[in-house]
Amino acid sequence: MASHQEPFTPGGVEDASRDPPSPASPTASFYDMSDDEEGEYSTIRPSKTGKGVKLLYTKSKVYVHPTPSAKDNIPGYVALIQQKPGRTDSISSPPTSPGVGSSLGGRRSAETSSLLLAWVPESSLGAASEIYSKVDMFESDSPPKQSCLVPPPPITTTHSSSLGTYAFAVPLSEVFSVMVRPPNTGWWFGSIIINTRGGDSFPPLFFHDSECQSTIAQRRRLQRENFSIGAAETGGVFWGGDQVISWLKKYVNVERSGQEPSVFLIEPNEADKVSFGSGGKPTPDKVKNVLQGKHRDEPMQKKPQNPGDAVTKALTQARWNFLEKMAQVTTFTRRTAQNLAENKNIPPQVRRLMQDPQVQTVSDEFDSARLYLARWAMGIAEQSEKERSQRIWTAKDVLEMEESEVGEFEVLDMDSQGLSLADRRKPVTLKEWNSYFNSATGRLERTPDEVKERIFLGGLHEEDGARKEAWLFLLGVYEWDSTKEERHAKMNSLRDEYIRLKGAWWERMVDEQGTLEEREWWKEQKMRIEKDVHRTDRHIPLFAGEDIPHPDPDSPFAEAGTNVHLEQMKDMLLTYNEYNRDLGYVQGMSDLLAPIYAVEQDDAVAFWGFVGFMERMERNFLRDQSGMRLQLLTLDHLCQLLDPQLYDHLQKLDSTNFFFFFRMLLVWFKREFSFPDILRLYEGLWTDFLSANFHMFIAMAILEKHRNVILEHLKGFDEVLKYVNELSGTIDLQSTLVRAEGLFRRFQRVVEAIDKKSNFPAPTVRQRLPQPPSPSAAKPGADGRPRQGSSGGGAGAAASASASSSGRARMTTGDHVAAGVGAQKERVISPELRALLSRELPKLDKTEVRAHGGGVAS
Amino acid sequence: MSSRKKILLKVIILGDSGVGKTSLMNQYVNKKFSASYKATIGADFLTKEVLVDDRLVTMQLWDTAGQERFQSLGVAFYRGADCCVLVYDVNNAKSFDTLDSWRDEFLIQASPMDPESFPFVVLGNKVDVGDDKRVITSKRAQAWCQAKGGVPYFETSAKEGSNVEQAFEVIARNALAQEESQDFNPDFPETIPINIGEQNQGCSC
Repeated sequence: MASHQEPFTPGGVEDASRDPPSPASPTASFYDMSDDEEGEYSTIRPSKTGKGVKLLYTKSKVYVHPTPSAKDNIPGYVALIQQKPGRTDSISSPPTSPGVGSSLGGRRSAETSSLLLAWVPESSLGAASEIYSKVDMFESDSPPKQSCLVPPPPITTTHSSSLGTYAFAVPLSEVFSVMVRPPNTGWWFGSIIINTRGGDSFPPLFFHDSECQSTIAQRRRLQRENFSIGAAETGGVFWGGDQVISWLKKYVNVERSGQEPSVFLIEPNEADKVSFGSGGKPTPDKVKNVLQGKHRDEPMQKKPQNPGDAVTKALTQARWNFLEKMAQVTTFTRRTAQNLAENKNIPPQVRRLMQDPQVQTVSDEFDSARLYLARWAMGIAEQSEKERSQRIWTAKDVLEMEESEVGEFEVLDMDSQGLSLADRRKPVTLKEWNSYFNSATGRLERTPDEVKERIFLGGLHEEDGARKEAWLFLLGVYEWDSTKEERHAKMNSLRDEYIRLKGAWWERMVDEQGTLEEREWWKEQKMRIEKDVHRTDRHIPLFAGEDIPHPDPDSPFAEAGTNVHLEQMKDMLLTYNEYNRDLGYVQGMSDLLAPIYAVEQDDAVAFWGFVGFMERMERNFLRDQSGMRLQLLTLDHLCQLLDPQLYDHLQKLDSTNFFFFFRMLLVWFKREFSFPDILRLYEGLWTDFLSANFHMFIAMAILEKHRNVILEHLKGFDEVLKYVNELSGTIDLQSTLVRAEGLFRRFQRVVEAIDKKSNFPAPTVRQRLPQPPSPSAAKPGADGRPRQGSSGGGAGAAASASASSSGRARMTTGDHVAAGVGAQKERVISPELRALLSRELPKLDKTEVRAHGGGVAS
Repeated sequence: MSSRKKILLKVIILGDSGVGKTSLMNQYVNKKFSASYKATIGADFLTKEVLVDDRLVTMQLWDTAGQERFQSLGVAFYRGADCCVLVYDVNNAKSFDTLDSWRDEFLIQASPMDPESFPFVVLGNKVDVGDDKRVITSKRAQAWCQAKGGVPYFETSAKEGSNVEQAFEVIARNALAQEESQDFNPDFPETIPINIGEQNQGCSC
């Protein structure tokens, strides 16, 4: 990134071969303004002799985001600068835009060319940074009275002339429009894009308002004086970009586009106004609509400010950002499009759109672009959540999140230890772990539940070895009430047993024991394990190496080589194949073993940990897939109960088989989260603290997070599957855990409410509530699956229909549940759902595994 | 031409685990090979737009888990398939032996209207490994394909990219023929001669 951050040098020592320096105008006095300052600015160099330009307004912590990675962000200042008119001397060049200034008096156009809208990186300011910071903090609507002079930034009219650096200073006369995207608290930073009359766009400037002292101070001031922190220009909460618009308004004519309310036209001429403006004299309604960011033809109505709208907004904005911008705003240039179009990360459909902005978008193309944009918008949302989760979650955060996502949330009370929720969400260190045990006997001195709660909420420390010990309790290798000595003895006998089992399959291989069928099975299993181990978590340093020759020259991996840990993995999985011959090794198991081995790094210990894990996971791997079917069905019921609107939509997409969650459920999100996140997730799930099936709530939390995208953008089973598959690597764990917890508590309350209702017949007055004609529709069908037709059916569908007809774009899950509970007294909690309340580990009966395992046990 | 609706060809790739289904698909679509693809769990697909003669079609290539027990849940995406690609590893006899059951399973689950003429293509993958490791000869594979009514057969290397483009061109062509036979004459797909012609041409390799 060094090349991007290369600062412009105020003294003008830039590469002179590219742009010859312009002579300064030593005669012009600083505040002089002439009337004819139109022209070609792209070749103008900063004055070498000028003593500086006047910094009228500036705002700090305005970033350029050169890459999607936050670490590449470049902080800087956006500034409105008044320069000496003499600086611009290429009067002979033809004006870049003939129409400019025609609608306004000469004074204004003069000002527009002597005023520069600039962005300068912090790193380039040097001594001037003090002045910038002072002007930033200047607490007044008008510029500071004494002139604050700063070195003149290099003037640019195109993005290309600031190549290699993001700094720019563009004369206002050259600014065609400023596009604003107000911030959405907790989701993204507000940003502006400056479009020039030449048809160029500068990279978006992002206002990190929470870091910007002046914005914070201004918000405080607004609150103190007006009891509101509304943004004057752009709507919503006051933010940095809003202020930029109000600076501009002090000097030039700024008109909000009626067609595209996010666009503010600078000094528009008549033609511009016709194209983009409000289209004739604005009526009060039109103005209000425009100010509220609504479509111009919409009648006035109160706009509900539901925080849950964030995703919709993200998507609307995303669409706007790429598509509408390209299709409608003609200032979007080919060159900017080209930059984006050359980005290999953008799918070809979108790239094509960008290469030809005028193209009539074929609906299919739009579909692909739509999916891409939906993902992109969620990516931003995830990024922002990740940033939030850098800190420990406080009760307030939980509350906020739950309010915005799934309705109100009951914050856990302080526990008896007096630990706050924030403290309890800190990882358990080895020291804390050891303190749970009697130092003499090594027996646990807390209840297992207390310990489990701590691990559920906070996880275990990543590095200090707490996991190595605690996991063996969580996985059932050690009893919670054992003494140190008992554990020692147990481990010794387990080690012996591991060696015995390992010897058993080894002999099997060497002696070719058993029936032909058995031998075939073993050969096949060995091959399968071999193949899978060589493609399991190879990006983890532990498994990456290929430093030892393969012991079996006939292996397909003989040439690639192997490493000691891969060989241990194979041994453990073959030993499991021996240990549980009813089931044997099935694809996906290697994914489950890897984290345990990585933590324990001792094959015998890891093996028994894995055996413990497999006890609960066995059902996922049965030949008849009955365990997976059950879980997918449970997810179906859970979605139906907690989010009927989403369920309804999925039903229309033929997606209620929930097959798109198959991978997540089979290997417990192993392919979705990073390796370190998986360790944290698994230890939480192993506690069975809220539910032995808490992973279902993790799944539901992921689904809920993306519900709006699914509702609005996904139009078929294949799209849903693709979208969900591609969430891999984008999901923030911390917030997902919190959301899952909230969903569980909500679920618990709904079940309680329904149980209560079924005990007490509803009062007759309830019958007057609008109800669907077929109250029996939601009763379980013969297959035990509640039927809730999308067309005529259950109260869930009715609830969402009535909600949308009452003008509310979206209900929170809480609303759905409330509506569902209120309107549908027949709602039944299926046995699958009720099982979710249990903290009892679901284990399969041995006979069941024998019947459906698909292994070769005699 | 522009008024004609855009064509989506659904192609299902089947075969034992580890024969290279994911790799073939990625080599074809992204021109990339990685030795470290993870075992596919569930199902996924990639899309690629191709010109077949003068027709722009979108191929949707479905990749599934190879272990047989995971097939039962995935039948949803067999439906409406236009072509089925059967992949085996030329260095692994078992993966060749199971081609029959993969084919049968597909025909049962997808239940195409005319199973006899439904287009399959067989790919013998990993020919780059070396002749000393190879256990299934071209002759044997071709014989199997002949016995199944002239199924086109290609020997590929997803690693080196050899023959992948050619194979998928035939896959696209046959899938398009199948799709059109469904479109224009859903009741009598077997009477479309172009379908048979394409297949015969495809197997000449």
